[in-house]
Amino acid sequence: MVDQRIYEMFRDIGRDLYTANMISSHGGNLSIRLGDRVIIKRRGAMLGQLKPHDLIETRLDRNDSGVALASTELLVHRTVYLTTPALAICHCHPRTAISFSLSRDEIVPIDNEASYLLKKIPIVMEEFASGTPQMANKVAEAMKNYKIIMLRGHGSFATGQTLDEAFFWSSTLEEACQIMLFAKQINEPLIEYRKMSESYNKF
Amino acid sequence: MTGWSEKVLDIDLSTLTYNTYPLDMELARQFIGGRGLGARLLWDMVGPDVEPLAPENVLIFTNGPLTGTGYQTSNRFSVTTKSPLTGTVLDANSGGFWGMQFKKAGYDVMIIRGKAEKPVWIEIKNDVITFHDASELWGMRVFALTEKLGQNNNKRNVLCIGPAGENLIRVASIMNDRERALARGGPGAVMGSKNLKAIVVEGKDRTTIEDQDRFKFLLYETRKLLAASPLTSQALPEFGTVVLMNIINNIGALSTRNHQQTQFEGADAISGEELTDKYLVKNSSCWACPIGCTRISRTEKVEGEGPEFESTWAFGAQCGVDDLAAIIEVNALCNDLGLDTISAGSTIACAMELSEKGYMDSDLRFGRADLLAPTVEAMASRRDLGSDLADGSRRLATKYGHPELSMSSKGLEMPAYDPRGLQGQGLLYATSNRGGCHMRGNMIGLEVLGLPKLIDRFQVQGKSSFVILNQNSNAAIDSLVLCKFTNMGVADEYFARVLSAVTGIQYATGDMIKVGERVWNLERLYNNREGFTTKDDSLPPRLLTEAPVDGPSKGWVSNLEPMLKEYYRTRGWDENGAPTKQKLTELGLANLVN
Repeated sequence: MVDQRIYEMFRDIGRDLYTANMISSHGGNLSIRLGDRVIIKRRGAMLGQLKPHDLIETRLDRNDSGVALASTELLVHRTVYLTTPALAICHCHPRTAISFSLSRDEIVPIDNEASYLLKKIPIVMEEFASGTPQMANKVAEAMKNYKIIMLRGHGSFATGQTLDEAFFWSSTLEEACQIMLFAKQINEPLIEYRKMSESYNKF
Repeated sequence: MTGWSEKVLDIDLSTLTYNTYPLDMELARQFIGGRGLGARLLWDMVGPDVEPLAPENVLIFTNGPLTGTGYQTSNRFSVTTKSPLTGTVLDANSGGFWGMQFKKAGYDVMIIRGKAEKPVWIEIKNDVITFHDASELWGMRVFALTEKLGQNNNKRNVLCIGPAGENLIRVASIMNDRERALARGGPGAVMGSKNLKAIVVEGKDRTTIEDQDRFKFLLYETRKLLAASPLTSQALPEFGTVVLMNIINNIGALSTRNHQQTQFEGADAISGEELTDKYLVKNSSCWACPIGCTRISRTEKVEGEGPEFESTWAFGAQCGVDDLAAIIEVNALCNDLGLDTISAGSTIACAMELSEKGYMDSDLRFGRADLLAPTVEAMASRRDLGSDLADGSRRLATKYGHPELSMSSKGLEMPAYDPRGLQGQGLLYATSNRGGCHMRGNMIGLEVLGLPKLIDRFQVQGKSSFVILNQNSNAAIDSLVLCKFTNMGVADEYFARVLSAVTGIQYATGDMIKVGERVWNLERLYNNREGFTTKDDSLPPRLLTEAPVDGPSKGWVSNLEPMLKEYYRTRGWDENGAPTKQKLTELGLANLVN
């Protein structure tokens, strides 16, 4: 039985992802690692309206019956947990960030907050569909060095010690991309205000 | 190779000889330096047949590849030995200047073996190692000795023991740069058992850095992060570590009167605000540290560094004392005598409870500020009542028939944070390899300060994951060796990048945490080899059965058992708390066991 505190954390962040327009009605997923277990959103459940029975507990290292109910992205989450120190993962579909991911290999924010927090967000590409081992390995490999990455044309994966933290990186990325979009629309030369910003793409 | 000096200095005090040889770089890659490298070397050198105060025990001084680079807080160093207080593996690390100077002398590691026939002190000037007679220095206190041996912060640095170490007090610390301490677990007694009074270093080497451009960028970004964090740029510089006094008291997690309560009515009087308002002379800092949490405090009787939060708590709330001047003075006295303030204060608190309950005949009572300094003096010289207190609270409470009144885990006195109000912190104390310690993983960040984000401090399910990540991360930071306060503004991902920039070896964040996990498991193997079992992963019965009757933690006891079960499973250990073969193989440690 999942602790009530843990359920409330999933419920609140799922709702916020939806209201922030960072997922569609049934898109995205959240998980946390509890030792050798993973708690992840049920396949097909709506993140914006999570009920206690929408949280599925399953093993980290191998399948059990929980796998029949878990999110299709379970394999990605497991692989990231097994290859990084992450204790929580937030996967969502931030629209502006996805749009930028279609035309570049990395996103280097220009706003102060994301420059400070993220420096650079790598974009990885995988032609196979969600939940495949190929995609899982590619995402996990990128996440060894970055707490948030973009899967081209698909969405972001962010890690943290808590869901709260992973959500923070996700919303920071989308905000940064919206600012980049607005700056492009304004179409005026940018005035650099960040010392050593030329090194961000090497982060 | 850059970062490391790639050189070991190996000293045998029994013969007053030394030799130098190359550092095993494969070990350096796996354990980095500091605590990790020390634990790995201790594994080979000191087995269960060696008594901690016997000549066969060793002192292993280590720095890390970042030491002396100028990266923020890259001043620290570590000592590893078998603890005379707990019998566990012990490492203690310290800041100041000595660690940087030791690195400049050209060594990653210094091993001290054997026992000198009569008191000596060692002088190291790079390749010139000199043994000096210390007969006339024996008995000197730390402050006077440090000055006599020529302490000069950026050029010549003194590490020594005081009378407590000489008298083999099991809570004796090793002091460096006058008032910094390798404090916990009694390393000063090990140094005293070797008739070694001091080690003075002067160095002239520079730590080389592989990728200067990347290093400079990370140095700059770290400076920004530390400046932006209110903890490292405001709270610690303005109030020192004692800033935690009111915070921890307000949530009902400040252990009080030998853990009989979880809130202290006198907390305001011994708070960081009070210290700053009435006693602060100025701030000070260790080498290459922009945080500057060190206080220089003054009373009518003393002026010096400190006190830190834990010292203020140990002689304050834990002893029921709200006289901050008396606490500052006894803290300075401990530094001068070379005593661990947490263990000394908490042992006195234990004696106060024993006395109040009639189990022990003494004048010690909670609130008796006037008895703190005389008791500490007596402890350091094993005089009168002090002889009972000199070896820590567990031996004291056991002698008087009430071992349950020792607020320790594995024999090491716990610090201020009460496990009844901080469930994760309790699990952390119980599983800490050197005993009840807040520096072997610290849940205060997650459970109190919201670093990186606040989690429910009473939550039990899933707590082990946080504790384990914290323990692994801390073991890695202790192996670099950096100050953990840096971690309040800078995430682990930066440390991995700095390590890569300095050494040229690419460490991802997970690789660095994996080093920490390797260190943690090796320390566990060491303790298991010494005979420690799951029974030792415990807390005092009071914390498991006596809930606070009021305050924000009212009704809570430490819910240790389910957390422990989850902890072993999550660690990849068996039900006996031993790392499984699979885990050891994964960490490259399988060759150490049969």
